[in-house]
Amino acid sequence: MNTAPLHRALSLTAWIAGGFCLLLCAALVYEHFAAATNDPWKAPQLLALKDKLAAEPRNEAVQKEIRQLDQKLRRQTRLRLALDKSGAWLLLGGALALVLAAGQAAALRKTPALPQPKTDAGERSAKLASRARRSLAGVALAVAGGLVIIRLVNPSVLPAHQAAGQKLPGAADAAEAPAEAAPALAELQTNWPRFRGWDGSGAAAQTNSGTNVVWRSPVPAPGHNSPVVWGDRVFISGGTAAKREVFCYNVSTGALLWQRAVENVPGSPAKVPEVPEDTTYAASTLATDGRRVYAIFANGDLGAVNFDGSVAWTKYLGPLKNSYGYAASLALWGTNLLVQLDAGDTPEEGSKLISLQGANGRLVWERSRPVSASWATPIVVEAAGKTQIITLSKPWVIAYAPADGAELWRADLLANEVVPSPVLAGGLVVLFNPGDKLLALRPGGTGDVTKTGVVWTNEENVPDIPSPAGCGDLVFTVTSMGMVKCFEAADGKKNWETNLDAEVKASPGIAGDRLVVLSVDGLLVMLRAGRGLEEIGRSRLADKFIASPAFAGGRIFLRGTTNLYCLGPENAQPAKQP
Amino acid sequence: MLRRLKFLAALGVMLLLAWVVSAEQRFPPPDFDSGYRLPATSTPAARQLWRQYADAGVFLAALATAVWLIYKKRSRRGLFWLSLFSLAYFGFFRRGCICAIGSPQNIVYALFDPEYAVPVTALVFCFAPLVVALFAGRAFCAGVCPQGALQDFMLIKPVTVPPWLEQALSVIPYVFLGAGLIYAGTGTGFVICRYDPLVPFFRLSGGCFILTLGAAFLLAGMFVGRPYCRFLCPYGGLLRLASLASKWRVRVTPDACTQCRLCEQSCPFGAMREPAPAGTGPQGLGAARKRLGWLLALLPVLVAAGAWAGSKLSPAAAQLDPAVALAERYVRQQSAPVQYGLMTPEALSLQRAADNPEAILKAAVDLRHRFDLACWLFGGWIGLVIGLKLVALSVVPSRTDYEPDRGACFGCARCFTACPNERVRLGWMPAVEKPAPL
Repeated sequence: MNTAPLHRALSLTAWIAGGFCLLLCAALVYEHFAAATNDPWKAPQLLALKDKLAAEPRNEAVQKEIRQLDQKLRRQTRLRLALDKSGAWLLLGGALALVLAAGQAAALRKTPALPQPKTDAGERSAKLASRARRSLAGVALAVAGGLVIIRLVNPSVLPAHQAAGQKLPGAADAAEAPAEAAPALAELQTNWPRFRGWDGSGAAAQTNSGTNVVWRSPVPAPGHNSPVVWGDRVFISGGTAAKREVFCYNVSTGALLWQRAVENVPGSPAKVPEVPEDTTYAASTLATDGRRVYAIFANGDLGAVNFDGSVAWTKYLGPLKNSYGYAASLALWGTNLLVQLDAGDTPEEGSKLISLQGANGRLVWERSRPVSASWATPIVVEAAGKTQIITLSKPWVIAYAPADGAELWRADLLANEVVPSPVLAGGLVVLFNPGDKLLALRPGGTGDVTKTGVVWTNEENVPDIPSPAGCGDLVFTVTSMGMVKCFEAADGKKNWETNLDAEVKASPGIAGDRLVVLSVDGLLVMLRAGRGLEEIGRSRLADKFIASPAFAGGRIFLRGTTNLYCLGPENAQPAKQP
Repeated sequence: MLRRLKFLAALGVMLLLAWVVSAEQRFPPPDFDSGYRLPATSTPAARQLWRQYADAGVFLAALATAVWLIYKKRSRRGLFWLSLFSLAYFGFFRRGCICAIGSPQNIVYALFDPEYAVPVTALVFCFAPLVVALFAGRAFCAGVCPQGALQDFMLIKPVTVPPWLEQALSVIPYVFLGAGLIYAGTGTGFVICRYDPLVPFFRLSGGCFILTLGAAFLLAGMFVGRPYCRFLCPYGGLLRLASLASKWRVRVTPDACTQCRLCEQSCPFGAMREPAPAGTGPQGLGAARKRLGWLLALLPVLVAAGAWAGSKLSPAAAQLDPAVALAERYVRQQSAPVQYGLMTPEALSLQRAADNPEAILKAAVDLRHRFDLACWLFGGWIGLVIGLKLVALSVVPSRTDYEPDRGACFGCARCFTACPNERVRLGWMPAVEKPAPL
């Protein structure tokens, strides 16, 4: 039988099927790479609409447009995926034809075998069995070795048996521990639990009645963070690239009770990032809830230290991408710790706000923020009938619900790098767009309130570093050059201004009816915190001051570069706990 | 050249399948609050009952057809088409599930978990091929198994695996079977299915490791006939045992064997055994009997040693169980904390564990107790398998003709038409050319 025509036909079929498969492969590979580079979910039109929606969250027309575009993109993607799948099946069919045709063609040309008879079958069989037994022993050893390796690389830390009442190491105590109660408002107000007081306004309920230096104690490590005070303890932090620590002093005597390094934080790189000397590794002010004191450093290490100086927990939150070094301070809400982690030069570099359980550091919630790096500290205030976390960072002022991090409202008001923190005064959020204007914003509404929320602005001598201080219906501001002003919170009317002719970086504070302004070179000025300008007194300390004053128990606590100072009347007592 | 073309085509198919898998995309959820709530992740509904019965019916029909094609029709072509059908139906249409290979896990899981009801298809897929094997050998492998069909289809240029190596490697399926059954029995999961290297190709989806493993098997399968079936398939191990006791066996020649060795050449799976006159080894029958006696005495020692060694494996083996793995991670986190990213699965699982650590510990310790027993059995099973294989290798065979090994023969029917007597029977050769026995 002449098989040549059949062989030719099968070969031709195989070649055609092969060519078809190659073409299909090329098309599918091209489509794959084209799809990879043209991600429909990053379509410029869609991104532009999303930006628009972010600015106007309640704009239903934009939402509808996004839905339509989204549906169109999904349809296109589904079509592409369907084409991919069809292509795969077509290719499978082509390959099937190719294999069948090639196989049949090869069979036509197959040369028949002509094996020779074997002899000595019995001897070969015995040798084969012998070699098989040896190789089986080898396989058994390999299996055993494999199992030993599995055992060695998977050590167990679980107990072999659970004795009665045995607990899971470590966590059981936490599980059995009763839930911590949040500090009472009176406790927070009596003490100075965070940067610029319990509500971040810089105002204390107690009136300071003296500026005598009650004590001073050396500061063991550099840092620009301000003191926080709880009961008979005052806390600061300090650190270098080599070591970062929390320091606890006795409020009455200034004795250093303990110092605790925040170190060996899991996940924290051994090599810490470089931080400008002007910022230091400990620029962020601590926070305390009366159970623990919390500290964050510029390398991203966050630590909670018990009041006895033992470390409760640590967590690495870095790397903190911040060109001047991380400096935002910690905030508290109930038993939760709030950390504003804004990073990068653009809003796409991973800024976020997180809430952690103070007792154990577990994440409660996390919210991405469309902002670049900032140095401002969030405040937690009651406004417009709800509790709000107010955050500042270029370009947005954003308010969040502290329970779940849901965004409440936002305003596009910040064009420059933000250092000063906001305050609440007269029911309005008062903040600086540094170097541009002082703004008062109504903390209510939903979505973008840029156009509707701003109540008043003032563009004269706008501070770029010190935060404002709020007291009742008044707002006080201090520029870096020492210009002090008083405004009505309600309408922005300026009541008075005075120039101290001093460089100021510390934010002003208010103790009762006294406004305290501290210059870098140690000039402490007390003014009446009222509608009329009245200077109560001046004193000078021989130190350099960047950190802001803290007020508790009728005393003022100042952190200088070399010493921690306690000012007050000679008979001042520690804060009495409610 | 055509072989090369075939090779390239097969390679292209594999690359394409791997690429299609990697190209799969997921839709992101909406970016804004539209009032729409994403549905909770749920387990897919069970396949409709009539469809399950239909699957079982098709399976039984395919098995019956395979037996008919092997024993009655002696048709390689028929088996080829049946394999293609099985590949299409049980492979690509049913996406490799349910399949007989994983079905013993369903049975064992049901034995240890009274709340689990074995689907009727699992029962049929598990026991029907075994029952058939007791009568007619591995008919399931011949034309019904999609994994086998896929490998058979890829076979281009078979090379002979040395018989001594083939014999040694033939214990691995039993090790895999033992592992699969202990994990099923402890409720950890169906590892035989999870690590089936060929099913991802039927589903056009799979993890990187398993796809790579599958591609390796298919590549090897171009030169080594059915490598997965011969050296890893746990169900193949069961069928091999059942086939050893089969009532009927595949006969190469319909007439007297001419010992021409053409059938040996035609078998790509190394299943053909040459004639072996009894007691003709260099050391004689006496030495063989002595060795057999020693090995029989060694058998319980091997089982005991295996059981003891297996018990030491329990702490590591249990960590494949998600509950044990979580407890281990949680306890480690207490003594040597590891920083996981916020909202990562690891961090979230630890957070969940922290809600009720006592329950996590209790579940893990209970599972460890189950694994203690399971690993004793597993180790003993490995000892038994190796011991029995040593015994089998020490039994002196007695054959006068070339014949397929009952356990190793897949019943693919390739050897039938290689036999000159069969070709005469089929009328492909004139009877006058019928060769006489040597």
